[in-house]
Amino acid sequence: MMPKQLITLTVNGQEREIAVEPHWTLLETVREALNLTGSKEGCGTGDCGACTMTVDGRIVTSCLMLAPQANGRQVTTIEGLQSNGSLDPVQQAFIDTGGLQCGYCIPGMIVAARNLIDTNPSPTLDQIREGLGGNLCRCTGYAKIYEAVELAAERIREGA
Amino acid sequence: MHTFEYEAPETIDEAVRLLKEAGGSARALAGGTDLVVQMKERATRFPYPVTVVSLDRISELHGVDFSDADGLRIGAGATMTDVATHPAVRERYAALAEGAGVVGSLQTMNMATIGGNVCNAAPSADTVPPLLVYEAEAVIVGPNGRRNLPIAELFRGPGETALAPDELLAELRLPLPAAGTGAVYERNTPRKQMDIAVVGVAVALTLSGDTIQRARVALGAVAPTPLRATSAEAALQGQTANEETFAKAAEAAVKDSSPITDLRASAEFRRHLVRVMTMRLLAEAANRAKGTS
Amino acid sequence: MAQETRVRESTGADANGHTAVGRRVTRLDGAAKVTGKTVYADDMKMPGMLHASVLYAPHAHARIKSLDTTRARAVPGVFAVITAADLPDYNRNDSNRTGLIFPDKEVLFYGQPVAAVLSEDPHVAEAAVEMIEAAFERLPEVLDAVAAMEKDSPLVRDPLHDVDRSEERGHVSVETKETEQEGEPSNIASSAPFERGDVAAGFAEADIVIDRTWRSAMVHQSYIEPHSTIADYDISGELRVWTSTQAPFHIRNELAQAFGLPENRIRVTATEVGGGFGGKIYLTELMVAALAIAVQRPVKYIMSRKDDMLAATPAPFAHIELKTGMKRDGTLTALQARLIYDSGAFPGAPMLPGCMLIGGYYRCDNIDIKGYEVLTNKVSVGALRAPGAHNATFAIESNMDLMANELGLDPLEVRLKNAVAEGDPMPNGQIYPAIGLRECLEAIADSDVWRRRRDVEAMPNRGIGLAVGGWLGGLQPASAIVCLNPDGTINVTVGSADITGTNTSFQQITAEVLNLPLDMVNVETGDTKTAPYAGMSAGSKTVYTVGRAVKAAAEDLRQQMFELAMKRLEVEPEDMEVANCQVQVKGAPDRAMTFKRFGRLSTNFGAPFPVIVGRGTISARKSAPGFTAQAAEVEVDPETGDVTLHGYAIAQDAGFAINPLSVEGQMQGGASQGIGIALWEEMQYDEHGRLLNPNLLDYRLPTSRDLPPIETIIVEVPSEEGPYGARIVGEPSIVAGAATIGNAIDNATGARVDEVPITPERLIRSMDKL
Repeated sequence: MMPKQLITLTVNGQEREIAVEPHWTLLETVREALNLTGSKEGCGTGDCGACTMTVDGRIVTSCLMLAPQANGRQVTTIEGLQSNGSLDPVQQAFIDTGGLQCGYCIPGMIVAARNLIDTNPSPTLDQIREGLGGNLCRCTGYAKIYEAVELAAERIREGA
Repeated sequence: MHTFEYEAPETIDEAVRLLKEAGGSARALAGGTDLVVQMKERATRFPYPVTVVSLDRISELHGVDFSDADGLRIGAGATMTDVATHPAVRERYAALAEGAGVVGSLQTMNMATIGGNVCNAAPSADTVPPLLVYEAEAVIVGPNGRRNLPIAELFRGPGETALAPDELLAELRLPLPAAGTGAVYERNTPRKQMDIAVVGVAVALTLSGDTIQRARVALGAVAPTPLRATSAEAALQGQTANEETFAKAAEAAVKDSSPITDLRASAEFRRHLVRVMTMRLLAEAANRAKGTS
Repeated sequence: MAQETRVRESTGADANGHTAVGRRVTRLDGAAKVTGKTVYADDMKMPGMLHASVLYAPHAHARIKSLDTTRARAVPGVFAVITAADLPDYNRNDSNRTGLIFPDKEVLFYGQPVAAVLSEDPHVAEAAVEMIEAAFERLPEVLDAVAAMEKDSPLVRDPLHDVDRSEERGHVSVETKETEQEGEPSNIASSAPFERGDVAAGFAEADIVIDRTWRSAMVHQSYIEPHSTIADYDISGELRVWTSTQAPFHIRNELAQAFGLPENRIRVTATEVGGGFGGKIYLTELMVAALAIAVQRPVKYIMSRKDDMLAATPAPFAHIELKTGMKRDGTLTALQARLIYDSGAFPGAPMLPGCMLIGGYYRCDNIDIKGYEVLTNKVSVGALRAPGAHNATFAIESNMDLMANELGLDPLEVRLKNAVAEGDPMPNGQIYPAIGLRECLEAIADSDVWRRRRDVEAMPNRGIGLAVGGWLGGLQPASAIVCLNPDGTINVTVGSADITGTNTSFQQITAEVLNLPLDMVNVETGDTKTAPYAGMSAGSKTVYTVGRAVKAAAEDLRQQMFELAMKRLEVEPEDMEVANCQVQVKGAPDRAMTFKRFGRLSTNFGAPFPVIVGRGTISARKSAPGFTAQAAEVEVDPETGDVTLHGYAIAQDAGFAINPLSVEGQMQGGASQGIGIALWEEMQYDEHGRLLNPNLLDYRLPTSRDLPPIETIIVEVPSEEGPYGARIVGEPSIVAGAATIGNAIDNATGARVDEVPITPERLIRSMDKL
């Protein structure tokens, strides 16, 4: 079955033209057609956040967005965070505080955390807990994730 | 997911035309947080759509506007984030900001639309009790033009609205609340967010001194549709805003409800929550009306 | 804020003389994970790969009348439809969940796999599953484990025989007399008694007796990565499996037995596990391997979240009757318990560890514990982080609190008074080695949560609770290889799946033994064809056993270097040391040979030394149980029953924390799962045995909005055999949560709920407010 529709979108700063089936989700499209497998499917129904990406600057659960709906939009996935061979300060902070274990929730979690700091450069603990409420982690109990976001925000404010 | 035809019209009229042409086999798609889940789980209340008509390119559906003259106008395509963060909504229609703000995670709020929340017509829809107490009007567009419908008349049953298959909800209009009005929405969920409401309650009180000039109480998740608790409202009308009045109204609200027992809670517990929450929210609404909250 | 966290360079010896172990070290695989580069099974694609979608039984108990796949096979894009009749030959054993791929006569639980569709397009496969025409005749459903024990109960299934319990033993080693159901018609799969002294006499001398029944719901591991498996079998005759698992060697062994293949023709790769918690041992691999053998193409099977909740291996429901007696001075005098674990349709419930723990925290002269593993028409259970333990602990720690409250005794003092220590007997008579239960209790007394107890108890609707937990740990042999590269760097190869950061700990151990900077050491988990044998990464024993093997292998490597250096350095090995990336005469760094030199001298053309490969292999005979004590601060809304967790603390004995950063992570992670069990998690079934909440919306995992930061206190009572005194770490942390929260809620409200999860409705009912 040949894919039916051509969509054009910017992914991690690069314009991409992709042939998609309308029943593909944005998550599937990114993973299968673009081979960007960092974003994960944990539930397929928008309840776990492992598929979190930003679309036009807002975090979404990409497992519920149909591929054609992403036409003309700017998408950023976990692969888009690092630049010039360096980790984004949020990525580095997660490593430094031990805020990751199995890693499956981490791409979505980091995208959400980066977005949180972008909109609120000095988040309180409560704001961090609220901002990450759509990203489930089963391994860490979130404790070191809170530390990671606090540390990342501090370093970014200091010019990292 | 099974496949389907996909259309992305750029105007409401074009969308309506597509729905009409499909003769009932098409479904409108907004944020996808309800419809896409249902399609994936093969759990649509209607036959699986042959055509999906996406509304995401229709700019007329977006936008939240407020004026002192006309009140609030919300495009059906406005997201929960748009609604919950809009300064005029937060200031003048606090209960609606609260309803939109608890629909789910931030991700869900960024995708879900108020039109979708209303038209999916879940008994637990979080924006609907606030819309009921603010006495919103639905502006509906069909092949024969526009019609307005009070929000209370929009809901027919779980997942069912008064919309014909070729009609679209275009916008919601909320009149300016009278001076001295305080309103609030809260829902009860097992976790702090991310859950379907066990019970949802919205209250709007307009006070003159300590007398209740006007009371609106709406309940979610305790009946086939969200509904106005009219006996509770009657028990409040003209009364003094105090604990005794609120207690009577809370009892009346319980009688207005008809909850079921399901995997989330028993009917008995839901009735208990209706009583407790109505009581508390009446006090909160009164405080907000007086500016003492 | 976080303590000093980032350590990647060796900064000299610490107070104990350690240069690499005992340091907070960031994970080896951190960069790959934070960039999304780490490859999990679903990220893998291969030429010719087919996707599998599975048809699940829509009834809890039914006879299969017919299974017609004609329409399904006709769907364009479908490659094959496989039912029981189409499977390749395998050694089927209907008594084990993992001995049966698809049933041909009878389904035993709602969600049991019945057939599979294969297609290159996963959407096509999913659609075609709906076209399989299956007709069933419903049979009586047995859903209540307690009722199922009655003599007149309908039978769940045909009698069991030749039950394979090897997977259970990977999690915990319990020496006892377990009676298996053998051919007798009964729903009781097995039972075990544990007795000591005279409970009647013990109750007679008690000043208070509490006799309660405690129930704990079926809960799911809910790893964020569902079960994911790829298998391939082709004309070469090698069966290849890539799968998200904690137990690659166990899988190889089982597949060899299933298909009659030699183990050296089966290659199992444990892909990076996106969460296991005991639930990713061996499940889907048998089916996927069979499908690959049937079609001779790679087959990928990724369980949807719904499928995983329906048909994986959750933790059992338990019904525990517990009667305990205590004297006025706080001495526990008698303990009588009946533990009933609902195993689902196949045996495998963790009844034995439950029995060991219910009577394993406190000294008691008189015990009478009977455990039962009972079959029902539900999905069969497996291990979930300290299997069986949280159920038993909820019971005993609730009873302890009730007795202490009645007698007006301090809950911490009462526990200290009775806590087991080295030399005390376990319920099966085995004697405890050195353990740290008392030390954990003393440590929790020092936590922020416990120290603000008096202030909190003075506040309305707030309370603080305390409970202990523990885990005995598994034992399995282990091995490791440590190689010296030509440039002097080190490669460590182990067979254990790295599910908790264990490979980082192995890096530290190797760096410690060889006195090297961490980055000179790399660690890899090989597959079953390239790595030496390792037991399952379960039972909390990975660092405890494989870590010992790694240490032994590094020491072997070091010794080889010393012996090779004798001629050139002109001293005996006892006069040598490793320092500064070289082997040197003790205290004389100028009389040395660098690792790099050894590397060259053992690998170049015509090199004089043999290749230097360190080998470590151990058998583990002595368990090193790990205990924990936890405290919680809760606030309860007295009218809605909503519970808010304001604070949580966990003290745990790690023996020796090779990597305190990762030990804390294990403590916080396990504690959060215990809290989930206490307040929200429950698999809910209807009256026909159908799962009502097979999704992450209505099966409620704690979110960040539900969990405050968790305080950790690492206690260290060294084990006898573990590397540097380390003991088991991964599991104890989950065990105490249910009881800790239950005790805190009682402290806040005076209400005691006798089942978990303590939902608002259950709490309001127990407060008589409905």
